[in-house]
Amino acid sequence: MSLYSLFVEPWTAGDWMWRGVLTASLVAVSCALLGCFLVLRRMSLFSDALAHVALPGLVGAYLLTGSTGTVAMFLGAIAAALLTTGLVSGVKRYGGAHGDAAIGIVFTALFALGVIMLSAFASDADLDTSCVLFGDVLGVADHSIITLAVLCVVLLASVIAFFRPLQLATFDPAHARAVGLPVAWIFGGMMAALSVTTVASFEAVGAVLVIAAMITPAATAHLLTRHLQTMLAVAVAHGLISAVVGMYVSIWLNCSTGGAMVCVGAVLFGLAMAWTHLARALRRPTLTAPDPASFSSPPTLESP
Amino acid sequence: MNGTEFQLDTILQRTVEFFTFKYDFVATTLAGAVLVGAICGLLGVFMVLRRLSMMGDAIGHATLPGVGLAFLVVGHKALAPMLVGASATGLAAALLVGFITRHSRTRPDAALGIVLASFFGLGTVLFSAIQSTPSGAQSGLNDFLFGNAAAITVQEVALLAGLLLTTVAATVALFRPLLLSTFDTTSATLMGLPVRWIHYGLMATVSLTIVASVQAVGVVLVAGLIILPAATARLLSDRFHLNLILATVLGALSGALGAWLSFLFTGFSSGPSMVLAAALFYALALALAPRRGLLARVLAAARRHAATGASTPNPDDDDRLFNDQTADARP
Repeated sequence: MSLYSLFVEPWTAGDWMWRGVLTASLVAVSCALLGCFLVLRRMSLFSDALAHVALPGLVGAYLLTGSTGTVAMFLGAIAAALLTTGLVSGVKRYGGAHGDAAIGIVFTALFALGVIMLSAFASDADLDTSCVLFGDVLGVADHSIITLAVLCVVLLASVIAFFRPLQLATFDPAHARAVGLPVAWIFGGMMAALSVTTVASFEAVGAVLVIAAMITPAATAHLLTRHLQTMLAVAVAHGLISAVVGMYVSIWLNCSTGGAMVCVGAVLFGLAMAWTHLARALRRPTLTAPDPASFSSPPTLESP
Repeated sequence: MNGTEFQLDTILQRTVEFFTFKYDFVATTLAGAVLVGAICGLLGVFMVLRRLSMMGDAIGHATLPGVGLAFLVVGHKALAPMLVGASATGLAAALLVGFITRHSRTRPDAALGIVLASFFGLGTVLFSAIQSTPSGAQSGLNDFLFGNAAAITVQEVALLAGLLLTTVAATVALFRPLLLSTFDTTSATLMGLPVRWIHYGLMATVSLTIVASVQAVGVVLVAGLIILPAATARLLSDRFHLNLILATVLGALSGALGAWLSFLFTGFSSGPSMVLAAALFYALALALAPRRGLLARVLAAARRHAATGASTPNPDDDDRLFNDQTADARP
């Protein structure tokens, strides 16, 4: 085992490595960008719900149109996502369930429906539950890669173009509403982007691993940064590193690519957590010499 | 239609076959499904009231690497090592969520998502590694994901029955501490109750339950069987003990209904069928519950409107009706 065969050879044996890394990177960047906003809005588990309810959406679209074309699949998944958003707020409002219980009620019911619809009525469709759950980075079709690339560019451009409104709506929705921002539309757009990204990423990494691609980079960045710009940048970097390192790990160990990427991401999160603790421990002043600065009065607003 | 028969007489005939235990495995299947539903329903009440609803989902997904590890260590599919491995990783996941929440800026929802997805990712890695080994010709992965109640063995039914009895006994014996620590963590702590240990005990029980239920419902949907009966019971009653009883009964009914559906129609895996039955009960309760159902609310509003001639806010309306004193139960 030389370094060459470990690191370079996979790139020379056909185009699968290039395609795999490209797909995984596109998924990682799109998911990491959206994940930051989800984590900041404390809606991480919504990605769990949307990743699961895409299945009944896909199967429903197949049963209605009889095709597994990209457009039908996307529309089905977006309809399912909208239905979920509506049902979750309805269950919260009238069922008296807390946020996470409402999400759990809606997505388990819809996912169960999806699994049954798929196995009972649509078993001839080119969909199967294990593909939906696990995905296959190396077997992604050309048109899916193009979709992912377009999506990634659109997401990047929108985050850059609408940075201020997004920032304000995320951190202080009440203020954003007061200054006249269409907060409901911003969040609606975010949900739509979320469901489109989830569906597009499905084929590559699978439903459960989409959740990891959204939450882990954002949560890692949230530990390490204090500004939205840097948080987005760190999350994207985390996603890209997990994608490339995960790809190598999966080749070396001959295991699932999506799973390896998630594990690498989780290790990076663990390192970030350890680092924040270490940094805090190093910053902590010793008790031997009292620091006079700590007794001074806290900074106040300008006196009148 | 993939061989799915929708003729009424066939359905009736199959139903009779099911409930008279015409085939040997049916009794085991039904008993297993009912037990799984009952125990998940009972524990679900605690999980939902303590706002840990999604913890069941995380634990369920986290059992996957445990099964993979057990398979790698033992080298073949055996029940006991699988149960031990799965309970261990399930419990580890539950504890890890608490650890991350307590020791970093990461919020509970993100911590839960990370743990869920990471453990599941680790599970997929292990399973794919197993499948690429010569001895790894195991086919049970799909059963493991979505459940196959027909494959429940007598030993598993015995295990489930033991678990249910233990949980019911523990709930009855520790009723007051459980009640207090669920609704008012602060008072419970001040009174010297071991609140954190109660939480750990609950997490351990839930992990064991989920592991024992995996054969019947699968890892992906076990969360539904934990949340839905408890949420249904919550709509029907305000009393804690009634909630516990109702959720247990509703869970058992969902289990029976799901097993029956899955026996009746091809393509109906038992896990999704049970969750769908539980969701049906929830939808019925949401529409028709005596005080909180949508129908009851509409009627009450109409009555008030008729009495006063003007629309007044419903004094029973959501926020006050669900009088939440529940503190965040995560220690």
